[in-house]
Amino acid sequence: MSQLQGIRVLELSDGLVDLGGRMLAELGATVISVSRRDTSTQARELAWGHGKHRYSWPEDVSSLLPVLAGADMFLDDRRRGPALPENLLVENDRLIHVIARPYSADGPRSGHVATDLTLMAQSGLMHITGDPDRPPLRFPGEQAYALTGIQVATAGLMALHARHRTGQGQRVDVSALQSTTLANYREAIMYEWTGRIGTRTGNRLVRGKSGVRQVWPCADGYVTWSMIDNPNMMRAVVKVLEQHNAAGELAAVDWSAILVADMPQDVIDHWQSILEAFFARHPKVQLGQWSLELGWGLSVIQNLDEVRESDHLAQRGLFVPVTSDTGTTRLPGPLFGHDAGGPPPPRTLSPKATLNSFPGWEAFE
Amino acid sequence: MDLADNGAMVIKIESARRLDLGRRSPPFAGKSTDHDGSAFFAQSNTSKKSVTLNLSDPRGVELARQLVLWADVVVENFGPGYMERIGLGYDTLRQIKPDIILASVSVAGRSGPMAGFRGYGNSAAAHSGHAALSGWPDRPPHMPPLAYGDVVAPMFATVAVLSALEYRQRTGKGQHLDISQIEPMVHVIADLFAAPQARKTGNSDPVMSPHGVYPCAGHEKWIAIATETDAQWRSICAVLRIAPDPVFDTAQDRVTHADAVDQALGRATAVVDRDTLLAELAAAGVPAAAVQDGRDVFEDPELRAAGHFVAVDHPVLGTSMMPTPPMKFSHTPACVTAAPCLGAHNKDVFCDMLGMSARDVEELHAQGVIA
Repeated sequence: MSQLQGIRVLELSDGLVDLGGRMLAELGATVISVSRRDTSTQARELAWGHGKHRYSWPEDVSSLLPVLAGADMFLDDRRRGPALPENLLVENDRLIHVIARPYSADGPRSGHVATDLTLMAQSGLMHITGDPDRPPLRFPGEQAYALTGIQVATAGLMALHARHRTGQGQRVDVSALQSTTLANYREAIMYEWTGRIGTRTGNRLVRGKSGVRQVWPCADGYVTWSMIDNPNMMRAVVKVLEQHNAAGELAAVDWSAILVADMPQDVIDHWQSILEAFFARHPKVQLGQWSLELGWGLSVIQNLDEVRESDHLAQRGLFVPVTSDTGTTRLPGPLFGHDAGGPPPPRTLSPKATLNSFPGWEAFE
Repeated sequence: MDLADNGAMVIKIESARRLDLGRRSPPFAGKSTDHDGSAFFAQSNTSKKSVTLNLSDPRGVELARQLVLWADVVVENFGPGYMERIGLGYDTLRQIKPDIILASVSVAGRSGPMAGFRGYGNSAAAHSGHAALSGWPDRPPHMPPLAYGDVVAPMFATVAVLSALEYRQRTGKGQHLDISQIEPMVHVIADLFAAPQARKTGNSDPVMSPHGVYPCAGHEKWIAIATETDAQWRSICAVLRIAPDPVFDTAQDRVTHADAVDQALGRATAVVDRDTLLAELAAAGVPAAAVQDGRDVFEDPELRAAGHFVAVDHPVLGTSMMPTPPMKFSHTPACVTAAPCLGAHNKDVFCDMLGMSARDVEELHAQGVIA
């Protein structure tokens, strides 16, 4: 039996609930998805739609009512306003009705349209992302939608837990702006307590009086690593440099006696030049191996092909083949490791059917 | 934190000797040496209770085992093997309480060649493809400005715990959940893994144009604009008095000529007041927003109206603003209370819950066990 086997979910998706429905499907729920997103792509359909039973948007929304009548959860994406008139919502006191909106239901921006990009901008995340000489930058993909989707799944599961105790469903309002802003855990609080406003620092990590690099070219790509106040880590790195006669002045530094964050910038820059030369001479596989074995805290910056081909992720079974009418694509499948049994969800992107007459939830289980 | 804010009783086991990194993280109210003065910790640990236990002492481990008997869920993020070494591995926990749910959160998970990987906040960004696909096409990979893996993985852990509780409700069985930071980071860019040839695109979108961030009059005044329909593009042109150009009529046309569209739009926005432009675009139904900084976010009227920040009384910080969950339940509302001072609930937990005498607690405190 899978984690959520037997849980019935209707999803009306428009970006905000897509990942939430996908997570519930991955955990074994039966998810019927009706999308009204105009700006989807085949990649977005594949990523968020696999494992769901998909329908095209019906000409008559009342055809959704029999689906809703038997659902445990209704993921109601109101990114561009309500899809269903309130008076069509059936009386189902066990229904968990999760409504995702860009903003709060009755705040000053209620009713404003938003997209992933505009939500990211308002969250404060973009202001601190990117290079100082370029415009603010978003994160890759659609992270405001993703963060909201996870909160939608969380809200649905919390309400499910409550329903076991009360026997009652309930309505849950999820704000996409709040979901996204929560990820920006530092900037608002830093302003509140210090008056400081963060800026874009590129790939520099600024702490205390100085800044350190985060991204380094190596012989065949890039790695990320920073000089931080962790004496054991610094000693482990310098030890290998010494073995290669490349440590220079770093060999004489007592890492327990100094705070990197308090060192003058020119000293840090000189130390970093020694490290830069060393990293540039070695391939990322070698640097990654040293990091794993010796606790450097260095990570290889992997491109998507390298992530897909990772031995580690292969052994953990992260990527699964998903078939669609355009072929087979390897996509992330399991969300995490667990002991529950049950078959995985269908590893297919089903074609969108037309909802003329609903065959009943049992037909999908 | 989501669980605690929504009514779960969450007891955080801490060490007074090896402080939670959050307690040493700025900003601070007063001195940075005050382990109860970190506003960062306070924000990240609302509504929890704190006890101190020395888990390198067998007596401390024994008390932890008694708490396992009380708990539904144990969450840990120690290095691989540590829980087993101190006698709190999953098999042991299951002997104590057969239906216990153990959630283990780590950088790379508990199995596979990288299981022992010691990483930091941004390691998962590197190993998941985030860093490679962040930034401008003509520049090196870009690291997120914060430990994004530390955000996404706990959210997945919350979903994992809730789904395991649902499973236990129906089967009576607990389980061991293994949450890696890398895998949730892969999941949230699944659309890029699904694309035939994903590449760095800055702020652009495969099907929307204009879709970017544009300068407005003044220093660091930026506006984000996305265009989902041709009608919205026509509204943008009307608001900014951009002469209609048939080359840009359709979304496909604009995506093909995205650089030219962005340049034309950037020239037009650069000379106008951002707030005025925002109001006009909002009235025209165009998705647009200010690129907000930390002050803007803290003072944002929408977030304030939504109750995103609530004033909470804290013994050291005083009355301060704490974030609330982004969801509002009609029947089971959340309640955010102050983060705990270190060991603030030792008496409540060890005396009132576990039945120890105050004298025993004091003695174990003096002996460095409840510490």
